[in-house]
Amino acid sequence: MPTAVRVAGVSKRFRLDGGADFLALDRVSVSIGAGEFVALLGPSGCGKSTLLRLVAALEEPSEGQVTVAGSAPGELARAHRLGVAFQDHALLPWLDVTANIGLPFRVAGRAVDRARVSALIGLVGLAGFEAAKPRQLSGGMRQRVAIARALVLRPDVLLLDEPFGALDAVTRRQMNIELQRIWSEQGTTTLLVTHDVREALFLADRIVVLSPRPGRVARELVVPFARPRDAAVMRTEAFHRLADELTDALGGGA
Amino acid sequence: MLLGAWGIALFLAGWEVVGQTGALGMSCPPLSAVLAVLADPARALLFQRALGATLGAVATGYGLGLVFGVVAAAAGHLLPGMRGGLDRTSSVIHAIPSVALAPLLILSLGRQATPAALAGINTYFILYVATSSGLAGTSPVLRDLMSVLGAGRWMRFVRIDLPAALPTLVSGMRMAAPGALIGAIIGEWFGASRGVGVIILNAMQNFQIPLLWSMVLLTVMISLTLFWLLGAMQLGAARRYR
Repeated sequence: MPTAVRVAGVSKRFRLDGGADFLALDRVSVSIGAGEFVALLGPSGCGKSTLLRLVAALEEPSEGQVTVAGSAPGELARAHRLGVAFQDHALLPWLDVTANIGLPFRVAGRAVDRARVSALIGLVGLAGFEAAKPRQLSGGMRQRVAIARALVLRPDVLLLDEPFGALDAVTRRQMNIELQRIWSEQGTTTLLVTHDVREALFLADRIVVLSPRPGRVARELVVPFARPRDAAVMRTEAFHRLADELTDALGGGA
Repeated sequence: MLLGAWGIALFLAGWEVVGQTGALGMSCPPLSAVLAVLADPARALLFQRALGATLGAVATGYGLGLVFGVVAAAAGHLLPGMRGGLDRTSSVIHAIPSVALAPLLILSLGRQATPAALAGINTYFILYVATSSGLAGTSPVLRDLMSVLGAGRWMRFVRIDLPAALPTLVSGMRMAAPGALIGAIIGEWFGASRGVGVIILNAMQNFQIPLLWSMVLLTVMISLTLFWLLGAMQLGAARRYR
């Protein structure tokens, strides 16, 4: 499997207001193969979102190197080959669902592929809401729009930064089942940032556990469940055992 | 709403009583006398011309001030190097009192263009400030989004900064309308051939008190109408872009 994303020995320091340095990531190395789904698991404040922002070229590493498809991470964004769904849905409030999902086409200077947009609206289960504005949608629906928008240009790399972080447990589980289905149809190289052990286990091929302050790779785990997965896998004993193991690994630093 | 209507009615009735009894002397005529002047058919043509001249100056100045204010703010936003200079230049122009600026404008632009020029300067500053702050107010997560979508500065400006700034911009348009009217009337005091400001000045110098009051009343009504119309526009923009 060729490498799609390589994070090699990356450290990231932030200058705090007082002038002191804060080490968010300490010599982290992670690689993601083409077509692989990797979950970055860690407690809040472990620098996992920072790592995602480095891959998205929204931050620069203090040390080390990030390459995406062999070039600097900004190249992929400039070529309109990157899809990102943020924790905050980041929908444009003045555009309806169709126009929000079509936005990447317009930014790329291409004609909006209407068939592709309506296919994605169907895929994320929002048929009938094409003309709705973001404020008329529930939190879960907004995140579906954000995910559809991230997928619309068939990106080489998909970054998901706790896209369901703000949702309640029931909606979140439902969104996970849907994301599983959507991802199975697209098979895009994906990096998911989450603090939810079950979410990571259910969705990912491989889980990288980060320990907090400074963020370091504490553990890596290949998820053994075969694809396609459905919700039943979450009720198996192996799932529970791995979930407990990962929960322990998360608490290990504390 | 109802309470406000009662308040206005009470104020107008009080004005009438004070005028009729002459409690504040000759300088405060009753409302009925002022309205009679305003409705006097013999003066209708004079008023129409004056109103046309003043509103023309307001429209020209407001339009130019709007365009220059928005364009200058956009330039400061897209070319950060220009921002500091634009901020300072705009503040300096705004800090000069109209009465000090007017003689310069008369010399450079002529008496007839001065009302529009002062209306424009008043409008420019408010629109510059409102648009600048609106453009700077785009949420960071939308900026991140545009960055990961591979948008350049211009694309980001067109797709998110400008639409997100529209409610603030329209709010600035509303705030600027009375200022444009004040600018036009003050401009007319410096020797324009016609306009509401000219009648105000003549009425004052000739002690035509009801005429003076009628023009003041007319000015207030124009100002409130503009403010109300732009308020409706502001509400529409806020609904759509927020």
